[in-house]
Amino acid sequence: MIVLHAGEIEGSLALWGESSDGSNTKGRHPFSAKWQDIKKELKAQGVNIDRRHSVTGVWLPSKGGKPLSSRGSAADTPRSKASLKRWDVEAAWLSPKDAAAVLAAARGKISIGGIAVGPDLAYWSDVYGFAASMVARQRILPDLEEEDGVYSAVWRPVLVGRDYEQFAALSKRMPPAARAFDQGSKPPRKSAADALQIILSVLIDHMVRSAAHEALPDAYVRQRVFDSAHDSWLHGLRTPHFVMGNDEDAGKLAESVREWQHAVAVAHDSPFRLCFRLEEPVTPRARGDAWFVRYLIQSRSDPSLTVPAEAAGKKRADKILGKHATQAKEFLLMSLGQVSGIVDGMSDKLSKHGMSGYSTNAAGAHRFLVKEAPVLEQLGYGIILPAWWAGGGTKTRLAAQANAVPKMRAKGSLSLDAVFRFDWKLSLGGQRITMKEMERLVKAKTPLVNVRGQWMETGSGEIRKAVDFLKKHSRATLRDSVMMEFGAKPAPEWLDLEITSSDFRISNMMDKLRGDATMEDLPQPDGFSGQLRPYQVRGYSWLAFLQELGFGGCLADDMGLGKTVQMLAMIQQYRQAGGEGPILLVCPTSVMSNWGKESAKFSPELSTTIHHGPGRKKNKAFAKQADHNDIVVSSYALVYRDAESMKKVRWGGVVLDEAQNVKNPDTKQARAVRSLRAGFRFALTGTPVENNVADMWSIMEFLNPGLLGTRSEFKRRFFLPIHARKDADAARALKRAIGPFMLRRLKTDKSIISDLPKKMEMNVYCSLTGEQASLYASVLKDLDEKLRSAEGISRKGAILATLSKLKQVCNHPAHFLKDNSAVPDRSGKLARLTGMLGEVIDAGEQALVFTQFVDMGDILKKHVQDTFGREVLFMHGGISKRQRDEMVERFQKGKCSVFVVSLKAGGTGLNLTAASHVFHFDRWWNPAVENQATDRAFRIGQKRNVQVYKMICVGTMEERIDEIIASKKKMSETVVGTGEGWITKLSNRDIRQVLALSEEASL
Amino acid sequence: MYWYPPSKPREVKGGIRAQAHKNRSSLSWWTREWLDVLDSFNIGERMNRGRSYARKGQVTELSITAGKAEASVQGSRSSAYQVSVGVNVISKQGWKIIGKALFADPAAAASLLAGQMPDGIEKAFKEAGANLFPRRMSDLDTDCTCPDWSNPCKHIAAVFFLLAEEFERDPFLIFKLRGSGRDELLKMAEIKPAKPEPRAASPKPAQDSRAEPLPSDPGKFWGQGLGEYDPGDVFVPDIPAALPKQLGNFPFWRGEEDFADVMEKTYQDASRAGMAAFLGEAVDENGAKPKSARGRGRPAGSRPRAHRSAI
Repeated sequence: MIVLHAGEIEGSLALWGESSDGSNTKGRHPFSAKWQDIKKELKAQGVNIDRRHSVTGVWLPSKGGKPLSSRGSAADTPRSKASLKRWDVEAAWLSPKDAAAVLAAARGKISIGGIAVGPDLAYWSDVYGFAASMVARQRILPDLEEEDGVYSAVWRPVLVGRDYEQFAALSKRMPPAARAFDQGSKPPRKSAADALQIILSVLIDHMVRSAAHEALPDAYVRQRVFDSAHDSWLHGLRTPHFVMGNDEDAGKLAESVREWQHAVAVAHDSPFRLCFRLEEPVTPRARGDAWFVRYLIQSRSDPSLTVPAEAAGKKRADKILGKHATQAKEFLLMSLGQVSGIVDGMSDKLSKHGMSGYSTNAAGAHRFLVKEAPVLEQLGYGIILPAWWAGGGTKTRLAAQANAVPKMRAKGSLSLDAVFRFDWKLSLGGQRITMKEMERLVKAKTPLVNVRGQWMETGSGEIRKAVDFLKKHSRATLRDSVMMEFGAKPAPEWLDLEITSSDFRISNMMDKLRGDATMEDLPQPDGFSGQLRPYQVRGYSWLAFLQELGFGGCLADDMGLGKTVQMLAMIQQYRQAGGEGPILLVCPTSVMSNWGKESAKFSPELSTTIHHGPGRKKNKAFAKQADHNDIVVSSYALVYRDAESMKKVRWGGVVLDEAQNVKNPDTKQARAVRSLRAGFRFALTGTPVENNVADMWSIMEFLNPGLLGTRSEFKRRFFLPIHARKDADAARALKRAIGPFMLRRLKTDKSIISDLPKKMEMNVYCSLTGEQASLYASVLKDLDEKLRSAEGISRKGAILATLSKLKQVCNHPAHFLKDNSAVPDRSGKLARLTGMLGEVIDAGEQALVFTQFVDMGDILKKHVQDTFGREVLFMHGGISKRQRDEMVERFQKGKCSVFVVSLKAGGTGLNLTAASHVFHFDRWWNPAVENQATDRAFRIGQKRNVQVYKMICVGTMEERIDEIIASKKKMSETVVGTGEGWITKLSNRDIRQVLALSEEASL
Repeated sequence: MYWYPPSKPREVKGGIRAQAHKNRSSLSWWTREWLDVLDSFNIGERMNRGRSYARKGQVTELSITAGKAEASVQGSRSSAYQVSVGVNVISKQGWKIIGKALFADPAAAASLLAGQMPDGIEKAFKEAGANLFPRRMSDLDTDCTCPDWSNPCKHIAAVFFLLAEEFERDPFLIFKLRGSGRDELLKMAEIKPAKPEPRAASPKPAQDSRAEPLPSDPGKFWGQGLGEYDPGDVFVPDIPAALPKQLGNFPFWRGEEDFADVMEKTYQDASRAGMAAFLGEAVDENGAKPKSARGRGRPAGSRPRAHRSAI
């Protein structure tokens, strides 16, 4: 695995990689990754950098003639002091464009594909975010830069006000590794602030320049001769050709630029700034110009230090301002004068009200709060606002309670389409308010209102909108009411609606959706074999409740809590209640056989067919096949590819498993599933999708179309506020909208823990790839010949060898062939494991993976590292006691998520209780040995429940032997349970049966 | 003079260009007053020719010193004409009175410092027994090397227009012409002029740029425990290019394109791109969205990846 690093060198950003294995050339960093490898993996992840590396010196803490790893393993931690030493690494010096591309890809990520993001690269990607933020907010100025008499046109950040503070904070946060490049013989001493300033400027210049460049005609971009330095400057600022040359005119221009930027420079260098404080009326009932905006001089180093502006030049101020007091006056006057250019009527106010400030009415105060103050703050002025305007102006919310009155006292079940009349009850910021009072506020047109002593912002236009909305919606259907309360549309954004009713059925339904009332547990459906745990009954009842109401839902329980059985119970219940139409189950290919197995086990009465492979039915034949089955399992790829066939079926319901597959609404598969005709819609996922706002829309749009508005509405209302502003209101609104349609339970929830056994074992079924199936068949063919001839010891040996080979084939073709060939996409089992490990890592948990083959352990370690860009530990018999202890310590401390253990090595003496997931990648066929391994995690000290997954390839000897052991186990433990020896005692016919490859093995 | 065909000025590249497309009513009162002086000379068509010279950039050099504005104007002849506009200078004593009167009112001082001529300024000049602008022809001493017998000629008019524009941008230039620069005036009002520190062509953070040695401790070196970065609010501002607008017109603009227009357009384009980059929606050069680089949580096998062949 490669850890990618980035540092500043001679004005650009350079990348280098630290790999876990490498060759040792003298003077070279022993683990310097090959730039070719980095380039290739970045390219696979869509980051295309066409650049050669150059061998560059980087100074690293070293000890014992070796650089210390950035991942700081226990063995590396020096007891004696480390010292700095220069190492040569393969580094790529990036152009600004490439730097931007890499940083954008690394931003907020732990890894880029199989490459881990080092702390220094992560740091620079934060800087990229800061650069983007400054450009978005337009805190930039065009400038002329002179170096050795040559002038260049550049864009510069203007680090004033909040940006200055952020810059200072960022430079403090810089890991020294981010400025460790130096070709010289002494370690670099460049300050963090300097390195940050350089890269920030480079990134900003690139962003502005390329945005401007795109909008210009080619002929202009190619132009080389200009009438004046001014023309040449504008060209240089907007094209890649920033060098302007060294003529006298450029020098004169540089002077003009400086003159032009004078005000910014003064503001930048001044120890004070002008500050505005909004003061509310002394009495709440005061009318007219009762608000006051006061001018203050504020110290930049200590913002709590303020003096009223009129005191500038007086003794009182001198005490605080010290020797700068005389400058303060000019600065203050200049600032006030500049503000006049931004705030309308400011100069009038100045001449009318003088230096202390100005009084204004509620509308003026509101304008100051929402419009002027943010602009002034951006420009670097200080702003002090009343405490009730906390968090940048949270609008006071209007809450409206609608009492739904049924038109007639209808009996029986509720219909979603029945129309209700509403009686509205209103409250503003928690204070009751009548419709009449509201209408009075509309007339007063004042955006700041004082309701019973409390100032609040309402936004005058928005009160009108709310009143209009409430009047217009005096009646609605039940479905619309639900959409109104929970959905993003159509109520005004700051209006909280709550639907209540004197009709118990309605109020109860709403309470259940809100989560205020408990759902009644349904009895386990008839024909469902197996026992649901209490929380599974709750989950399945929730699904059935939504289905009955006609809403879609997303079951997002932690992996291992049994989403599959809950869904199957719901489908069984649906059938039992007379629900019609086949159910389409869409999942990734690697999970298809598991669905087949599980449905056969838990819902044996439901007929299930798997839609896959070149021989699958299409069009009418498919529709016919679907209609004859209860459940059709298909994959995301086929739902899109066979879209026409899919559309021919009127589905009773559609269920998406691993629904994170459709989180991007533009993908073909997401479009395909949205276009299906279905009675009910559900989604299952084990990854915490609710944490990623951007992903939410696509899944919800599938489940409940329109609930979150159109995509652009969603973006405007939720995504932008939550991402760009961390808007708590928007986040709350989104949670409210999604809440009723999402059920997520964690293993650690109290109510779940009590329902779960401490150790839960389950079989995970996988299928073979075509390649695996043909290898399997050829191994069997070899055995056939041997069985005919061999006898006694050699027969036994041949059988055992074959068993081992078949296991290897089931694990991975590369494991069997031992040819160091490529790993991805060739093993169904590995694909499934990778998917499940992804969920474990996403949930921040840890896993043990047991295999009995050291070769397979190597493949697993490498593949998992390359997929997730995280270090994977691997313990086998060949490592020292010290290394072993160190690995255990690292794992227990949570430094690594995945620990691969060869079964022999991991059999005894280890304590790995940090793991809450245990995978048996291949099988020992000896429960005692396997349990002993499992118990590494399930030990004294384990506080969590442990999930144990036994991975089994369907239709192979893995499945059959598992079945035999399971059934024999019931009768007598002694018959089997001693490994594989018993198999050799079977008759040839029986052996063939046990080892045979059945059709379902490869999908 | 009506029967002479109007002579065509030689084309100049990179001259100073009048940027104001505004009509006179949108100009500040002091600039209008300055142009009124020119009007009072009644030079007819020369006036319009002068304006078009100013816009085309026929004025290649312009300097303002106490009592005199000097300029080179490219006319129809091969060598440029030299224009000078002389104004009488106000005495030191006079400036003292003006300075005091001006800075007694903070609002006036604030607007002046921010580049606005305060309303009460003429009163302040009257107190010193002077006028802000020349009132009569005899207050001015204009001269041009061109053969036109008329004084002022169109070249002088062109200089008048450019001066008007500079005064609009920075009223202190009027004071300079009348014998007192910005700093002198501030001193008279007992305000110490704020001087930015000598610096490179661009603002640098007022951060100590001392050398910072690298630590050899691995934990510190790799930046353990440095905390999270909080980007704060990010938005596209309602008013585009607020910063350049705040700084005002560019002094002595010679570019073909209008500086303010270019800034506004560029800031808007950049702002959109910056927002997209911040939100991670950056569009690459080919216009295609870059592939998500997220590697986690998706089932293996759904993603084509390159791999290293050695195991």
